[in-house]
Amino acid sequence: MFKNYLKIAFRNLWKHKGYSAINIGGLAVGMTAGFLLLMYIGYEMSYESFHANKERLYRVVTDIHTPSDNYKTPVVDWNILSELTSEFPEIENYTRLHDTEFDVSIDGNNYHENKVLGVDESFFQIFDYELLQGNPTEALKKPFSLVLSETVAKKYFGNENALGKTLKIMDGSTVANVTGVMRDNPKNTQINSDILISISTYTEVLDPDLKESWGNFDNRGFVLLNENVNPKMLETKIASYNERVHGKVMKETELNLTYFLEPIEDLYLYSERGSSAQIGNVYIFLIVAFFILLIAAINFINLTTARSVERAKEVGIRKVLGAQKKQLSIQFLSESTIICLFSFLIAIALTWLALPYFNTLAGKVIAISIWDNPIYPISLFGIALVIAFLAGSYPAMVLSSFKPIQVLKGNFSNSSSGTKLRKGLVIIQFTISIVMIVSTIIVYNQINYMRSQDLGFDMNQVLIIETDGSKQQKIIIDDLTNIPNIISISTASTVPGGGGNNSSALSKIVNKQGNEQTLNIERYRIDDDYINQFDLKLLAGRNFSRDLASDSLESMIINEKVLGLLGYSNPEEVIGKGFEQWGRNGHIIGVVKDFHMSSLKEEILPLSMVYNSFGNSLINLKIAGNDVNSTLAIIEKSFKKSYPNKTFEYHFVNDLFNEQYKSEKRFGTLFLNFALLAIFISCLGLLGLASYSTLQRRREIGIRKVLGASSMGIVNLLSKDFLKLVLISIFIATPISWFIMNKWLQDFAYRMNMSWWIFAVSGGLALSIAFLTVSFQAIKAATSNPVKSLKTE
Amino acid sequence: MIQITNLEKFYRTEEVQTIALNKLSFEVKKGEFVAIMGPSGCGKSTLLNILGLLDDPDGGSFKFNGEEVAGYNERKRSELRKHNVGFVFQSFNLIDELTVFENVELPLIYTGVKPAERVKRVEEVLEKMQIMHRRNHFPQQLSGGQQQRVAVARAVVNNPKLILADEPTGNLDSTNGNEVMDLLIDLNEAGTTIIMVTHSEHDAKYSHRIIRMLDGQKVTENILI
Repeated sequence: MFKNYLKIAFRNLWKHKGYSAINIGGLAVGMTAGFLLLMYIGYEMSYESFHANKERLYRVVTDIHTPSDNYKTPVVDWNILSELTSEFPEIENYTRLHDTEFDVSIDGNNYHENKVLGVDESFFQIFDYELLQGNPTEALKKPFSLVLSETVAKKYFGNENALGKTLKIMDGSTVANVTGVMRDNPKNTQINSDILISISTYTEVLDPDLKESWGNFDNRGFVLLNENVNPKMLETKIASYNERVHGKVMKETELNLTYFLEPIEDLYLYSERGSSAQIGNVYIFLIVAFFILLIAAINFINLTTARSVERAKEVGIRKVLGAQKKQLSIQFLSESTIICLFSFLIAIALTWLALPYFNTLAGKVIAISIWDNPIYPISLFGIALVIAFLAGSYPAMVLSSFKPIQVLKGNFSNSSSGTKLRKGLVIIQFTISIVMIVSTIIVYNQINYMRSQDLGFDMNQVLIIETDGSKQQKIIIDDLTNIPNIISISTASTVPGGGGNNSSALSKIVNKQGNEQTLNIERYRIDDDYINQFDLKLLAGRNFSRDLASDSLESMIINEKVLGLLGYSNPEEVIGKGFEQWGRNGHIIGVVKDFHMSSLKEEILPLSMVYNSFGNSLINLKIAGNDVNSTLAIIEKSFKKSYPNKTFEYHFVNDLFNEQYKSEKRFGTLFLNFALLAIFISCLGLLGLASYSTLQRRREIGIRKVLGASSMGIVNLLSKDFLKLVLISIFIATPISWFIMNKWLQDFAYRMNMSWWIFAVSGGLALSIAFLTVSFQAIKAATSNPVKSLKTE
Repeated sequence: MIQITNLEKFYRTEEVQTIALNKLSFEVKKGEFVAIMGPSGCGKSTLLNILGLLDDPDGGSFKFNGEEVAGYNERKRSELRKHNVGFVFQSFNLIDELTVFENVELPLIYTGVKPAERVKRVEEVLEKMQIMHRRNHFPQQLSGGQQQRVAVARAVVNNPKLILADEPTGNLDSTNGNEVMDLLIDLNEAGTTIIMVTHSEHDAKYSHRIIRMLDGQKVTENILI
């Protein structure tokens, strides 16, 4: 019996090649998109899942409460973990991760390593990063022990065994020993490093004071709990311990700390500390995957039921010959399964082809191949079967319930409920497509909005060079001062957009009421050229001056935001008010207009600028727009003169700033691609339906033409019905997309207005594409010879 | 074999109720060849559908082999149908996507005959219908007469006790029509009961008895033999 089903299925597919292509093709494209998205989601959900102890691994994080603010940080105090581990038997082990970077010199060449982690010796007992050479318990014990990744080991030592070799690090004279080589980190981890250095290097040798410090949050911390420990209960115990032991110092410093435990597997998806939680994107893409698969499945249902008239005779005959409803249902379900399996095979091939492109789009290698993980093809196969069943059930039910006498008599037509259902499904498809178009337009517009806003400063043609802030830096500056193409030079610790080092400081400033108010504010160290170079607007007071010795110790410029927090409305009022910051006391000498120091996703933060004429790590050069390359060559020459062993690296502030929108841009591109796919698959279905309904109405068209209808009139007649459906979709999609995107925009501190034209353009776009699709068939029918169509009936 | 008493069938649309069969009664004995005639719309096809267990009467009694079958559900009707009734239609009703062999094989598949046995029986019946040389052709590749021979082959392959023919020669020229009628006669002579709906007086003459209908009722009954 099954052989018979197969035979008839294949012959049917072959006989109606056009429909089969649309059906299988649409489903295959939909499945490909769905598969890629599901693989992406699978990858996103796999972060840190490779640690054998993942169920017992927690990041210890700190909430810092100051009198005016609360900060949820991803970091911990330097010494608290060792304290807690000896205090609480629930904690089996711990390690700190101290993010750092340094130069490595070998054979007279300098390399900058920026993914270095200072870690405790327990690192390899806690995490599952594979140590290829070296002793996992000893490798990170002694100061100046290094564990290199395979790639880094190869970079420095080629094919030689790196173990036991030495490297000169930091200032070029510090010798460190290679005590291990580890496999390169997997991509799905947030604990990224090219080099691990024993944390004792800092605590024992470079900065022994750290061991005695309190309130120094320069590292992340992880603990491995014992089996069956309830982390919530442990948190409570830690809180009371902390209060008991550190209560006094917390009170004195006005820094109240609370520690929490975050499961390692939740960090990437759910934690908002230090990086934004990714679960929102995962949900969005899950919904997109579901919708694209739904659109493809709807095509399948629509085309199959629309064509049911053709299969009706067969159903009738089979019933007359003794087939039961169940047998016929099984037959049609088998057919849909065959179509789905065909589509599945094509989708696997397409996924394989599209994967490298998708990896580029996603900005991460979610998989090299679909066979990377057997889970992928197996679950994709499962999804294909589910689609086959879900999309096949309805047509099977419809087809198998035809009454044989009716269909054999020939007085059978598509039931009106079937037609209504198909129309409903087309509306769903186009609603989804339009929502996706609107979303894409809004994502792109928001990015454009952020990029086109006045940032409150001028970053045009300003480039930064990172230096060590030593005397050598001064030589470069003197060297470049008289170069005509260099318009201005300044130095600073930070530039807007994230260049340099961001730091914030608890500061006390006298507020409007005359009291000292504690605020946590951003802190830039700048020289006296900075404000002019970046064209920051002084609202009151004055700029720093190199001629006033007191400026470097006792002066501070603040932004409007601080002004507001202190309760002042007029910037003049704050001039001369006292401040205390990091042990320095002085007066406010100026107020600058607020400018966007980071992306428009974030609110402008309160900012303090202090004067530092020497030792700032960044040299900022504003250069002329012409002949940039030769200017760069001059700068490089000068840099090399001061730092012959360093690689010359520079960044345009412009680029750094826009780099912040990378993830939004990527999101937009991904969305654009999937929106295009959604509309493509929807149109494919529409094409099938339109061609089918045109075929059914050939006689009507013939009669109308004989009676004098124009071709245009026929095109209108045939297109009208479908376009009505798209119009309904526009009405449904508009409020839905407004709601969704309004929610999405809430994540941005500065956001665009969703104006009506976005919805109009999206609707118009969907309408035009649908019209093109439908009219293609309609024009064909309208221009054909009516006699021919009348004869064929 | 077949006994119908006061059989009724109505068709309802929203506004009109049409009586297709109006208290119709007659009997068909085993081995008989009965022709049913009458103008279009007199209820012939409705009757044939009920006799073929494709449709259910709205009133009256229908006994098949002494068993009351009016009121049987779809599943029971289908069960009874596939073992006892063969159909021949005016428009042949072959499945276009299946070959001659596969079309004839279909009833055997639904009655659960084993594959080897199926091949034997299909080949036998194709030989008998002299269409064996076309076994791998598709219906569209055959002439009307050949298609109807395939349809007859399909109707008899299960050795049904009853063959219902709905204007079997209606779409055929006279030569092909006569050939098909000869086939039916042969089957009848071999013991199969045949009920044939026809417009053709010529074809009706092949039967033993002609029942003439009008407006859902029997008007005359001529015994020819």
